[in-house]
Amino acid sequence: MGADVRPEAPFTAGAWSSTVVARITGRKVVRSAVGWGAVFGVYVATQSLTYATSYKSIAARRLLVKEFGSNAGISALVGPAFRIDTVAGFTVWKCLTVLTITGAVWGILIGTRLLRGEEEAGRWELLLAGRTTRRGAALQALVAYAAGLVALFVTTGLLIVALGRTSKVDVAAGGALFFAVAIVAGPSMFLVAGALTSQLASTRRQAAGAASAFLGASYAIRMVADSDTGLGWLRWATPLGWVEEMKPLTAPNPLALVPITALVVVAGLLTVYLAGRRDLGASTLPDHSSSRPHLGLLSGPAGLALRLMRPTLLGWAASIVAYGLLLGSIAKAGGQAITSSPSLRLVFERLGVSGAEAYLGVALLIMAVVLGFVAAGQVTAARSEESTGRLEHLLARPLSRVSWLGRRIVVAAGVLVAGGLLAGLSTWVGAASDHAGVDITTMLQAGLNVVPPSVLILGIGVLVVGARPRMSAAVTYAVLVWSLLVEITSGVVGVNHWIIDTSVFHQMAAAPSAPIDWTSNTVMVVVGALAALAGVAAFRRRDLQGE
Amino acid sequence: MGRFAQRSLLERGRRLSTPAIRTFALSKHFGATQALRDLDLEVGEGEVVGCLGPNGAGKTTLIRLLLGLLIPSGGRGEIFGLDCHRQTVEAHRRLAYVAGEASLWPTLTVSETLHLLGQVQGHVDPDYRDVLVERFDLDVSKKVRALSKGNRQKLILVAALMTRPDLLILDEPTSGLDPLMEQAFRKCIGEARERGQSVLLSSHILSEVEVLCDRIGILREGVLVEIGTMAQMRHLSAFLVEATFDGAVPDLSQVPGVSMVEVLGAAVKCQVRGSVEPLLRALAGSGVRELLSREPSLEELFLAHYGAAPTREIGSPDGG
Repeated sequence: MGADVRPEAPFTAGAWSSTVVARITGRKVVRSAVGWGAVFGVYVATQSLTYATSYKSIAARRLLVKEFGSNAGISALVGPAFRIDTVAGFTVWKCLTVLTITGAVWGILIGTRLLRGEEEAGRWELLLAGRTTRRGAALQALVAYAAGLVALFVTTGLLIVALGRTSKVDVAAGGALFFAVAIVAGPSMFLVAGALTSQLASTRRQAAGAASAFLGASYAIRMVADSDTGLGWLRWATPLGWVEEMKPLTAPNPLALVPITALVVVAGLLTVYLAGRRDLGASTLPDHSSSRPHLGLLSGPAGLALRLMRPTLLGWAASIVAYGLLLGSIAKAGGQAITSSPSLRLVFERLGVSGAEAYLGVALLIMAVVLGFVAAGQVTAARSEESTGRLEHLLARPLSRVSWLGRRIVVAAGVLVAGGLLAGLSTWVGAASDHAGVDITTMLQAGLNVVPPSVLILGIGVLVVGARPRMSAAVTYAVLVWSLLVEITSGVVGVNHWIIDTSVFHQMAAAPSAPIDWTSNTVMVVVGALAALAGVAAFRRRDLQGE
Repeated sequence: MGRFAQRSLLERGRRLSTPAIRTFALSKHFGATQALRDLDLEVGEGEVVGCLGPNGAGKTTLIRLLLGLLIPSGGRGEIFGLDCHRQTVEAHRRLAYVAGEASLWPTLTVSETLHLLGQVQGHVDPDYRDVLVERFDLDVSKKVRALSKGNRQKLILVAALMTRPDLLILDEPTSGLDPLMEQAFRKCIGEARERGQSVLLSSHILSEVEVLCDRIGILREGVLVEIGTMAQMRHLSAFLVEATFDGAVPDLSQVPGVSMVEVLGAAVKCQVRGSVEPLLRALAGSGVRELLSREPSLEELFLAHYGAAPTREIGSPDGG
């Protein structure tokens, strides 16, 4: 602003700039929220309408209850099947946990990207050079987030209310809206959690990591609570349990909104408080600005990759071990539930598979998904070396592009294999502690069996990095999320087998409950390797590209 | 005389040995934007060449092509006779590069970064590295995250210089450096020149290029519009005349060869191209009290090339 501005100019400019954070953030959040709200609404509609058409007779619904109604293993994974003989009960069971977790991930990403991410990129410096205080800016961001959550609620709610009016589903508007509240509860809590960790950590990656760890722990506690071990009260100890306790459409319990609201309000207030206490760009937690050199890994690009990803990889390893121990320790109970159905028991007996193994076959899918995320993370990490310009410092030295990308791929593949073995081993330890009678060799093989889908994802990711670098994160995560949605959806209701086949996870046999499909695994690894090779070839022939 | 002898020796040497950099009709376009057009450039062994041009003139594009980070749309480039695109690893063994923007790994410390980059380079002069760390006043235990922009720039300068490469490619290497560090940088380039290292220096700091470089090239809209020694460039361009008058200031704007006439009270400032005679004739008898004439600085040469005509934004979309 020049010195010759007219008297009223500073006032208008000030009023404009004083809400700039809220408006810029709000626009982005609301746009994204409306999109996801539509996805959520459509997902709920598909689940309920497919159920209404697939399970018309009371007999068919009773059979469903018998198979899944008291299955501790399934209940540990996606929540207890409550009143699934009704359209409403089934829809809630199939949708609530899935949408809560999807929404929570959305909340964490958006909560950290727009607070810590913008700050990291230095864009807040420009805004805060004006009249806005840090605390005011954080408050404005929270207001924008609230607008986004309202948009998510309105979009999802309208679609569910409309759905409820159809004769097939037939749900009252009040109930439908309470269901929408339950769906938005998870995203709200984790979005604010992301905003809070953005104040604690110093990079977006760290902030997202911390909030994700919170989500992982919430999920793990909910798993224990829902695995029929008499620890049902634990549900009140986890945000994901609170959402479950809301029991929309079946036995609505508004009391569960109390801890949810409390978490959102307290975390929001803490965010604003901490934002005013620290320097711009700095973290609240201690952050050492110097340290003694650790040169061990820093002899080349492979070591550098390991060194940079060490915190992330340790985090993933910890979650794999935690889930492995958990799944293993509830395998016996889960298996008993599965084999309580005489027809299924016969099938498994013929295959020579114990109840626990039958359960672990289903449960290890979660490990395949975790490794899929690890693979996608490796792809985006490699790409970000290029997009930030850091890669230039390496490639301007005597290091070829093929050598750099090749070594990154080898490191990533090694990490995935190690992750698979760790999954198998920790699950075996968990199962052995419960005397589930599961063999260690079987479990290590089952652990390796979950690796090929992630190798395929890695290969596809490298191909995109080579051919369309700016789309690498979007495409890689799209393949992953699509596969995951297909896998979850196709579990109970019938889905066209062509669609099911597009899921990378579907190509993997459910070891140890089914024999490992070596042909399919080989095909996945070979296709992944070929895609990676094509990606490397394309990477050699193109310009380095920034963001 | 000594300088002349040195230069002719250099000329002879250049003809005998392979040039450090040679490009043949090197071109690059990004979509419809032509960032570099049919560029022919040669940097001899032991020669220090400066590269000037406004933002988006194609300086960074040229450097990124030489490093094999970009793939040429046409023509080719060579580093010591090695193809920039096909023989990158061999070529890079003999060069070091300093980027204009030092985006490094924030969690590594200064000494870790130097170790890593040295390992990837393959050879380092450890004694010289220690001298450089001292000279640039770097705190090696600091994490990159905690460094200022200037300090990060110093870090990548040290990382490049410590390998004692045959060729230094520097893309605005002193952005963010304070005058003291700028001095240290000039000392390093002087040392490199004495050791017979070649340098390609792209810069905005004209005085720096003027002092350091044997030859200077000017890029404009992807075309090398001028290249030569300072002496040759001066010859091509105008010189400045300032005259102060006792009486009325005569109108000089119509005099042949005179341009950019500025009247400041009783004084006139103008540029003269070609013969000075028409101007002298116009001034004669108009009561000149003072007459000053001097060679233009590089800054003025630069403005003469770019000041008048508006330049379109051309260059790498990645910040060329």
